[in-house]
Amino acid sequence: MSDRSIPLLDHATGLPDMIRGETMRLEGHVRRLIPTPDTYRLRQIILTGCGDSLIGGYSVATALRAWTGLAVQALPAMEASRYLDTPPVQADARGILVLCISNSGEAARVVEAAQRLRAIGALTLAVTNSPASRLAQAAELVIDLSIPPGSTGANARGHAAALMTLWLIGIRIAEVRMRITMEEADARRALIARQADPVERSLAACAAVCAQAADRWSGHRNADLLGSGPCLGAAQFAAAKLVETTGIHASAQDIEEFHHLNYFIDRPAEMPTIVFTATDAAAASRMRELAGTLHDLGRPTLLITDAAADTSSPPNQHLHLQLPTAEEWVLPLLHIAPAIMLAASWAEKAGCTPFRGHAGAWAGAQQGRLVRESFIQSGPQDRDERAT
Amino acid sequence: MQSFGLATPGNGLHDVTEQVAEAIAKIVVKEGIVIVSVPHSTAAVTLVSPWDTLGLEDVHDEICRLVPARIDFKHQHDTPQDAAGHVKAAIVGHSRSIILAEGKLMLGHSQRIYFWEFDGPRRRTVQVQVVGT
Repeated sequence: MSDRSIPLLDHATGLPDMIRGETMRLEGHVRRLIPTPDTYRLRQIILTGCGDSLIGGYSVATALRAWTGLAVQALPAMEASRYLDTPPVQADARGILVLCISNSGEAARVVEAAQRLRAIGALTLAVTNSPASRLAQAAELVIDLSIPPGSTGANARGHAAALMTLWLIGIRIAEVRMRITMEEADARRALIARQADPVERSLAACAAVCAQAADRWSGHRNADLLGSGPCLGAAQFAAAKLVETTGIHASAQDIEEFHHLNYFIDRPAEMPTIVFTATDAAAASRMRELAGTLHDLGRPTLLITDAAADTSSPPNQHLHLQLPTAEEWVLPLLHIAPAIMLAASWAEKAGCTPFRGHAGAWAGAQQGRLVRESFIQSGPQDRDERAT
Repeated sequence: MQSFGLATPGNGLHDVTEQVAEAIAKIVVKEGIVIVSVPHSTAAVTLVSPWDTLGLEDVHDEICRLVPARIDFKHQHDTPQDAAGHVKAAIVGHSRSIILAEGKLMLGHSQRIYFWEFDGPRRRTVQVQVVGT
């Protein structure tokens, strides 16, 4: 691997130690975060962020919904900031917990969401690595992830820490509201910490298959990444890493939606398709149907799953990556490894510079200006300030 | 000292008389005082009549009426049920002493020994010690 890819891989190889060392430290912070009366007042949880942070929200939403029994949804920061506080405002907005996720704490739209939703009375909680950031100032509560920073935008450790923290928050809410027992809560916390070993095994399993995929596909300019439920979050993260590192057009899609939409994309032989799934996933039966569909289309595929390879598939068209078996909700953590490894291998093979080097046409993204310096509206009343 | 484990299925009274008797049988001392103790802060030990199981529910319901699980306990490290459990266990007590004579527990006709769970389901331990000759 060249110097270009090394920071990205450092992040991935550091994941197991981070999971081992940080889970219970984060749990200690989460435990003291939300007062019990506020926990009992909750009726709704909104996860919001941009980029990887929003993907983190999508990745954990199904688990938090199941555990807490509350209405849980992940919303883009634009929707959370501009489309929720329009009159008439919900009467008991205090019953809304807004988890505002931003590693830097400086993403303008997430800061705006925290400010505006706090102003209408929602309980806002910043999940950030920057306790002195604008987001930390804007939100009522803050959890400082305290994960050592890495290369800009490819922070796998930060993404993993956000996933772990969001799960821990969900577990804590479910425990305090007595949806689950203390022992069940502790078992789920321990399960997160125990993912260090499977993640380590995943990293080891990834290298050869991802290198093969890169050898075959690095000349292509598009890719589809498919998954459902928590695995859609994994597909979104993988797509984001491919875009960042290679500059190709990579998009993530739910597998049901695929049958309605991207299925019809022309030149299927030029569209590598990476599928994230597991044998016991709720969407497993549809995934089996999808495998046949992709084969009929003639799409080159990489199936990432805990099942053994189907030896009846033509090996030249289909790649298979077998990862350790895990509960479905925790798969986004396991799937960070192939996402990073595939992006790094592809970028290496194609000779790409991550983020186009923030140079030339992309110079506007230097120091995060593109997302940090966007105008922040204080509320619906100053909507037209820039227009006049 | 003898001890045995217990997996409580939920909150309420769980009869441990037979397990205590089995523990005593392993101790050489035949005359004295048996102490049944629980090394937990959200569980207790008590003696109650076993004959009407609805009576057992009354006993548990009543302490829940006296100390309901509220959301404004100052102890918020764990759950409201856990916070209330600390108070209930402190009121009821974590041990009971029973006379041992000729190697037998001197329980009355309407007395059984109950482990009282206030924060279940949990995996618990009951300790049994005899002081005597």
